[in-house]
Amino acid sequence: MSLTVKSHSADAYALEAQGLTKRYGDLVAVDDLSLQIKKGEIFGFLGPNGAGKSTSINMMIGLLRPTAGAVLINGQDRAHAPKRSIGICPQELVLWDELTCAENLTVMGDMYDLPRELTNERVRSLLADLALSEKAKTRVSQLSGGMKRRLNVALAVIHNPDIIVLDEPSAGLDPQSRLLLWDFIRSLKSKEGKTIILTTHAMEEADTLSDRIAIIDHGKLLQFDTPGNLKKTIGSGDIIEMQVADREKNEAVMADLKSVNGILEINDAGGKINIRALNAVSLLPEIIERVDATRTRVSDISIRENTLEDVFIYLTGRGLRE
Amino acid sequence: MIIFAFAFGSPSSLGTGTAPHEIAVINLDQGATVSTNNTTQHVNDGSAFTQLLENVTYAQTDTHMFTLNNVSADQAQTMLKSRDLAAVITIPEDFSQAVAALTNASARAETTSDIGLRVINGSTAQLPVNTTPPKQSNVTAQVIVEGDTASSAFGAAQGLIFNVLEQYQGQIQASAIRQVDATLAQNQSQSNASIDYISAVVQPLTGTRSLTLFDYQAPGLIVFALLMQVSNVAQDLTRESDAGTLDRFKLSNMRSFDLLFGTLLTWILIAVAQILLLLGVAVALGFSWAGGANSIALSVLVGIIGGIASISLGLLLAAFTTNERQAAQLGILIAVPVSFLSGAFFPLPNEILGTAFGTTFQVYDVLPWTLVADALRQVLLYGSGLGAVAVYVGVAIVLTAILFVVGVISYSQVRLRPE
Repeated sequence: MSLTVKSHSADAYALEAQGLTKRYGDLVAVDDLSLQIKKGEIFGFLGPNGAGKSTSINMMIGLLRPTAGAVLINGQDRAHAPKRSIGICPQELVLWDELTCAENLTVMGDMYDLPRELTNERVRSLLADLALSEKAKTRVSQLSGGMKRRLNVALAVIHNPDIIVLDEPSAGLDPQSRLLLWDFIRSLKSKEGKTIILTTHAMEEADTLSDRIAIIDHGKLLQFDTPGNLKKTIGSGDIIEMQVADREKNEAVMADLKSVNGILEINDAGGKINIRALNAVSLLPEIIERVDATRTRVSDISIRENTLEDVFIYLTGRGLRE
Repeated sequence: MIIFAFAFGSPSSLGTGTAPHEIAVINLDQGATVSTNNTTQHVNDGSAFTQLLENVTYAQTDTHMFTLNNVSADQAQTMLKSRDLAAVITIPEDFSQAVAALTNASARAETTSDIGLRVINGSTAQLPVNTTPPKQSNVTAQVIVEGDTASSAFGAAQGLIFNVLEQYQGQIQASAIRQVDATLAQNQSQSNASIDYISAVVQPLTGTRSLTLFDYQAPGLIVFALLMQVSNVAQDLTRESDAGTLDRFKLSNMRSFDLLFGTLLTWILIAVAQILLLLGVAVALGFSWAGGANSIALSVLVGIIGGIASISLGLLLAAFTTNERQAAQLGILIAVPVSFLSGAFFPLPNEILGTAFGTTFQVYDVLPWTLVADALRQVLLYGSGLGAVAVYVGVAIVLTAILFVVGVISYSQVRLRPE
């Protein structure tokens, strides 16, 4: 007898992760991850390399069996949800090099049992949306990297899934291709009401496209909110980026500035001093005065708003993860 | 190295050098009734000769010249064709009568010679009573030594058999003469029978008069090509896994059956192309192909069974190899020894497992490719039909089905389910 779990929030959430855990021996790759992804939203999934993003995604889409926890798709246990409800665009290019663009898409259409007419229509439409119409009959091996990347995305949606998982979809794309892809992702949401799970290392991309963002590290969910709220609540204030003429004095300058009222955080970012402070503009005269007092001078200074990258670094630290 | 030593250097391989030769004796001898010293008894000299063959050893060693296989005439033929036997000796039904004739002729010649000598020498010694020379008959027998004349193993075995038979006749003659001399108090042997009562003749195995080693190996090469599919299939499937395309399939509506049936169909077509191509090349290079279109159709059918066995093994490998390179290396590592063990290139030593359906099975026959190789040889070299290879084909199908089920279950469980 099989048990089908039906969530009360089936109408609200496209995907729910309930206490997802994955262990490899003593290593806990994902630790009790719970998420609710709303229907029709673009959900940004951020984390450093090795944070557990791919493992989490693979458990959500059914490529990996969780050690514990459950995944609900449209309120239904993932094992019983229709396979065609999810489309995946992996980070790697997963294409058949010896087939043409149209053939690649047709193969996947067939794999999802789409009627041939519908497949042909979808192939034409997707190739047009992703500016690949002229390459319909070109072998994948002859495409540029950007074209392959766009075709990789097209393969994820050929069967018109409700939930689309895009793993680093714009990696290695030139600005024009990236903008085209962003427009395509936005149109999937706005015109077709798709739910999109986006993993990326490009903070600008996550900030621009995502309705809500989850940041995970060491397999644990650190924060889950809208980009605006994350920027407001995590690492609040503005960022003063400053360079002094004599970089050897950075340590002394930073030690002195720590005592200034209103400065929340100060660190050395590759020779540049980053100061996060509330009401940063009013603090500028005192900061400059203190720098002068340490027998050097400010060679460059600017103020910018707190960004998602600042939030990300604040939460996950500066240490390399490779 | 071990494989080559096994193939070329094994002391038990079909009898080369001073190793025992694998032979079978079909004794059709009806026996004969002989009178000795006023007693009559029924003897079967065919059995005595068979015993001699079994016991005879190489000079100054304890090594037997022959290992006798206790098989039927039909089984012997089959084993001869698959080179599991070096030779088959058929002792004719009148062998004992010919032996008796030889004995009588020798005794008669010795008796008459003795009487003649006495007359010439003017001997006054009285002849013993009962010196009437035995009656002479002209019964002769021909021992048939059958084998593949292209086989060096047969050449060596046949020479030894002729030699043993000659010595056997010599012993019979000597025994008869001794008996006469004892009766006549004559010490010196003077005579020999003038008729060749027992002779031996080589009978080439049907269709082997012009066979060469290449003829034996060509069907084996087809099996070897089919075995190389193990590596190709494993590589092909591991590539899908490596490239991530298998994950795309797993997330789609595709069923395991779709992938596995698609793989099977593709590689079966490749197997058919391989068989036809290799057969064509072999014939062009002088392969002694027997049979017509039917033999091609049958060999394709048999080859497909070998192909499916290879695909199944490929599936099994693909389930447990982590990358394409590993799959390729492991595939070759397995396929090459299996090709030797299936007798694709060289005859294998006799390691009889048992007899079923009137066919003797060797230990190597647990590999479906061995049965496929034997069946292909029978079909392509000797023009045998489906009836002649039905047992081989049937057992090969059963073994292949087992391997296929194991391969499919392993691959499905390991590769087509969530990790």
